[in-house]
Amino acid sequence: MARPHIEPFVELNEGYKKFKIPGFIGAEFKTMSLDTDKGACTLKVRFNGGFKRPPGLSYSDLEIFILTGEMHIGGEVCKEGHFLFVPAGVALGATEVPDGCEALLFYNDSEPTFEESDANHELALKEGFVSVNAYEDMPWAGGSIVSPSVATGLFLKLLRFDPLTEAMTFLYCMSPQYIQDNISYHDCAEESYHIWGSSWMMQFGELPTGGYFWRPPYINHGSFRSKLGCIALGRTDSKLHNYFHFNPWSNPEENQSRAAAVLYRQRPQLFRWVQMADGHNHPHGVVGQVETSKPPRDFEFVDYGDHPQTKLLADQNYSFHEHDHLHKDEIAAAHKFAHENGIAHGHDHTSGDHTHDDDEY
Amino acid sequence: MRKNVQDHKPPMGKEAKAWMQDEIAAQEVRYKAIVDEIDGIENERAAWIEEFLRLIQTRGFYVTGDTKRVIPKEEIPKKPNRADAMRVIW
Repeated sequence: MARPHIEPFVELNEGYKKFKIPGFIGAEFKTMSLDTDKGACTLKVRFNGGFKRPPGLSYSDLEIFILTGEMHIGGEVCKEGHFLFVPAGVALGATEVPDGCEALLFYNDSEPTFEESDANHELALKEGFVSVNAYEDMPWAGGSIVSPSVATGLFLKLLRFDPLTEAMTFLYCMSPQYIQDNISYHDCAEESYHIWGSSWMMQFGELPTGGYFWRPPYINHGSFRSKLGCIALGRTDSKLHNYFHFNPWSNPEENQSRAAAVLYRQRPQLFRWVQMADGHNHPHGVVGQVETSKPPRDFEFVDYGDHPQTKLLADQNYSFHEHDHLHKDEIAAAHKFAHENGIAHGHDHTSGDHTHDDDEY
Repeated sequence: MRKNVQDHKPPMGKEAKAWMQDEIAAQEVRYKAIVDEIDGIENERAAWIEEFLRLIQTRGFYVTGDTKRVIPKEEIPKKPNRADAMRVIW
């Protein structure tokens, strides 16, 4: 699994650790969540007073949100609430932290990297760079940016929107006495850090200041409450659609199937094209299934399949389907392995109170 | 094939490898602590569910935005008879 479900996690209860990766010496960190395959991660970092770093770049897209204090980057003073999206390979100016600061750092593609450089990498997508003070430079907007939508009383500031994946980074707040009585899940992973205040969800209880979650797709959350309000930084890794329902006991697999049913109802022509009646999919892959290494053609974004985040998302395997028995191809592989390696084995297969129709394996 | 900066990432250094190892181990501990914590409040969570099911039959279920629908009793789901019915961390 890419990143496990981390929810709830209150980072204020944890201590900082010293960074030992080059480029980060003098800073301390707390890991909130980590992609154990790629190293992509969300960190809270404390840059102690006097921290200095020469100009340099990362080989991962990087998002920075200043929580407290000031960070001087190439002469720009980034104060509380400052948000940066730094595409991989874009060189940031010399960094200085005169009096200390704390920030959230999101490495979207790999583990934290730093390479000294005063020039952008030749392949850097520098036009994607964002630098904005989320507190001072933007107004709050209503939270109903998608439909079905959240209840009135949730406000947003959209900080970054990825046109390829529709991933979003946003500041949001819930007004005091916020209520939304439904259960939600999404097709995307969702992440949040509570800068101040608390909110409550029926599955996880109260999430206070310093509370954090990384929630994989299709996991129930809600109903929702916020007694005294909260302000938080949120992210999704792809398009957010609110699937609302009122079954507190549905599991991710049932939710996933229900999401497909929604697609069947609401985009029937697309569904019919993707999932053919005879059980194979379009576009055709080597065994008649969707071949993720060759994603469908997009006349607008011709190379989108090579985009790092598209690849990362396509490679992720959130498998909620657990068995105490093996499937046909797994049994065949295990049996072949046993034969080839002289491992003792039987030729009957039963598991629990059922028998498979593939017992010849 | 389009090349990206990410494709040119140098191999992971020994400090980064050690960092990954440490943090993967720490995350496993963190995940287990979360599961234990959530399992520990199962009775409380059951009461929250009961209250939620009551509210959607009286004040209503939020269909979209502030649009609500009062759910009739016959539509209220029954708790399934499976071991992981109360599982919320996946």
